[in-house]
Amino acid sequence: MKRILKRFFMLIFLFLAVGHTINLTAVKASPYISYNYDRWGDAVPSQAGYIEKRIVSGDDIGADSFNEPSDIFFDGNNFYIVDTGNNRIVSVDGSLENVSAIYEKFKMKDGSLTTLNKPEGIFVSDDIIYIADTQNSRILLVNHDAEVISEITKPDSEIYDQNKTFLPKRVIADKAGNIYTVLSNITTGCAMFSPQGEFIGFYGANRIEPTAEAVGNYFRNIFMSDKKKARRTRQIPSGITGFDIKGDFIFTCTASSSVLSDTVKKLNSAGKNIFADRNVSFGDYKLKYDTSHYKIPDSSICDIDISENGNINCLDFGTGHIFQYDEECNLLFIMGTVAEQTGGFKSPSAIESAGENIYILDSQKNNITVFTETSFGKTVHKAVELYNTGYYAESLDLWYEVLRRDGNYTYAYNGTAFALLRKGDYKNSMKYSKLAGNSQLYNKAFEEYRSVFLKENSAKIFFALLTTVIVFTVFGKIKKRGEQNQ
Amino acid sequence: MMNLTQKQWLKHAVTHIFEGFEDMRWKKSGSLKISFFILILFFLAEIAHERLYGFQFYAVYDKTFNIIPYFIKTIVLFMAWTVGNWSVCTVLDGEGTMKNIFIYSAYALVPYISQMYINTVLSHFLVRDEYVFMQAIEIIGTLWTAVLIFSAVKSVHQYMVLKTFSAIFLTVVAMFIMLALLILFMALVQQVYIFISTVYTEIIYRIRV
Repeated sequence: MKRILKRFFMLIFLFLAVGHTINLTAVKASPYISYNYDRWGDAVPSQAGYIEKRIVSGDDIGADSFNEPSDIFFDGNNFYIVDTGNNRIVSVDGSLENVSAIYEKFKMKDGSLTTLNKPEGIFVSDDIIYIADTQNSRILLVNHDAEVISEITKPDSEIYDQNKTFLPKRVIADKAGNIYTVLSNITTGCAMFSPQGEFIGFYGANRIEPTAEAVGNYFRNIFMSDKKKARRTRQIPSGITGFDIKGDFIFTCTASSSVLSDTVKKLNSAGKNIFADRNVSFGDYKLKYDTSHYKIPDSSICDIDISENGNINCLDFGTGHIFQYDEECNLLFIMGTVAEQTGGFKSPSAIESAGENIYILDSQKNNITVFTETSFGKTVHKAVELYNTGYYAESLDLWYEVLRRDGNYTYAYNGTAFALLRKGDYKNSMKYSKLAGNSQLYNKAFEEYRSVFLKENSAKIFFALLTTVIVFTVFGKIKKRGEQNQ
Repeated sequence: MMNLTQKQWLKHAVTHIFEGFEDMRWKKSGSLKISFFILILFFLAEIAHERLYGFQFYAVYDKTFNIIPYFIKTIVLFMAWTVGNWSVCTVLDGEGTMKNIFIYSAYALVPYISQMYINTVLSHFLVRDEYVFMQAIEIIGTLWTAVLIFSAVKSVHQYMVLKTFSAIFLTVVAMFIMLALLILFMALVQQVYIFISTVYTEIIYRIRV
C-alpha cells in the first residue's frame, strides 16, 4: 500500500514538473504554429526559421506615433517609413532605435515650401529619395536636405489615358535612374519614367488569367463586329500592387484573392516575366478555416521584398503570413498570422528585409514588427545559398543538419538528394529523392545507379541468363520426350 | 479435334483473335471459374498499376488508400458491360447468354491485364527516357483487347461485323444510362435520408422542449 502511494505521489509530481515546463515554453511561444508544406502539399508543423523579436512603434524611436504607415524602405544605413496619416517621412537608424530625420516640408526649386498629402511609397538610392505623394498625384525626387530635385506629375502622353487618375502608390528606381511606379486603378502595368522625368511607357502588365470565360470570349470575339466588340465588357487583368528591385530584375506582386496567375513575377529589363513558364505557385496551397474569425481567409500577396541573398519575401495581407522563397522559388519559411500579440498583424502593409531581420509594417497597429532569423533559419539559409551557387558537396552537411532538426523539411530532402547525386552516391540519392517526393530526381539517380550496377555485374547477369536459357531448353526437350514416350 | 483443357482454351481464344471465340462457341467451352479469376486479377492489376508503379515515373499520394474507386473501375464496370451487353443484344437477336457474355468478355481482357502487370514490373527497371517501350506494350495490349472484345461480341451473339459495331456502341450507351440511373437513385436516397433525418431532429427537439 505504501509503495503504491509512493508511486502515486511520484506520478503526480512528475506530471506537475512536466506541466510546468510546458507552461513556461507556452508563454514564450508565437501566436501561431509555424508550418511548412510536405511533399504532397499538405501543411505540416515545422521549425521556425524566423521568430518575432520585438515591436517598434513611433514613440519608441522618438518620433510621434505613426498614423496608418504604408511603406518602409531600408537603404543600407537608414530606414525610411512613410507615415501616411501624418503626411511625413520618418528616417530611423539601422537598429531602429533613434530617429535620424523627419521630412515634412520640402523646398521647391523656386524657394516655396510644399507638403505631402497621404504619401504611400518610398524608395532611396544614390542620395535621392523618391516619394510617391499619392493624393497630390505626383512623385517627388528630393535629396536628404529636403530639397526637391524634380517632380513627376501625370504624363501628358497619348499612351496615358487622360481620363484616368495618376495616383502613385509605390515607387522604385533602377541603376540607370529610370523610375517605375505602381498606380492605383491602372491595370496596364507600372508606369516607367526616364531619369529626366519623361514618361516612357508601361512596364510589366499582368496577363489575363485563361479562365473558361476568357477563352470563350476570345472565340466569340472572332465572329463579332468591331461595333459590338466595343460595347462588350472587356477582360482586364488585375493591377500590380507592390514591387521591389534586385539587380537587373524587378519583382512584382499582385494582391487579388480571385486571380491565381501572375501573383508574383520576376521581370527582366524587357518586361518579360521569367517565372511565367515555370510551374511555381506562391502563397498558401490550401487555406485552413480560421476558427477565430469564422471564415476561410482571403489570400492576397500585397507586398514583396528581395533580401540581399536573393530570397523572395512575400507578405500576405489576408492571412498575415509571410512566405519566404529562395531565388528558385522553393518555399523556405512561413511565419506571421493575424493576431493581436507580437508576431501577429492586423493590417500588414509593407515588408522590408535587412541582414538577418525581416520588418513588417502594420498600418492599423501603427508599428513595425521585427522578425529575426533563428539558428535553424541560419542553417537553412547557408545551405540554400551554397546549393543555389553550385557548391553541392559543401551544402551536404548543412542539409543533414537541417534534417536532424526538422524531418519534415521537404526542400532539405531535395537538396540532399541532389548533392548526393553529384557526389556519386546514387543509392542514397534515390532514397532521399524518394523522401522528397521528387520523381524526376529519382529518375536521374536511378539511371546512374542502374548503369553502375549493370557495369559491375554484367558478367553475372550474362551467365544467369545463359543458365536459364539452357535449363529451359533442356527441360523442354525432356518434357517433349516424356510426352512422346507416353 | 480441338480437345483442349480449359487453360488451353484460354490460350487458344487469346492467341487466335478472329476464330478463337468461334471455336470456343462451337465446342461450348469456357470456364466461369477462370473468368472470375481473371476479373480478380484485373482488380489487383488496377491497384498494382496505380500503387506499385516505379517511383521514377510518378509519385503516388500514399497517405490514404481507398479501395472503392479501384473496385468501381474494374469489377463494377465489367459487370455493367456484361449486363448492358446482354440487355442490348437480347433485343437485337443475339444468341449469347449472360454467362457466355461474361466468360468471353473476361477472356478478352487478358492482354490488357497482362500489359498492366508487365508495365508495373518494367517501371521498376526502366527510366523515363525508355518510357516509349512501356508505351508500346500498353498500346499493343489495349488494341489486342479491343480486337478480342469485338471478336467476342461477334461470336457470342453470331453477329455480322456492322451489327457488332452497333451492338458495342449501344452497350456503351446502356452503360451510361445505368450509370445515370445509379446516380439518380443515389441522389434520391440522399434526399430521402436528409428528409427523414430532419424530421427526426425536429421531433427530438419538440420532445425535449
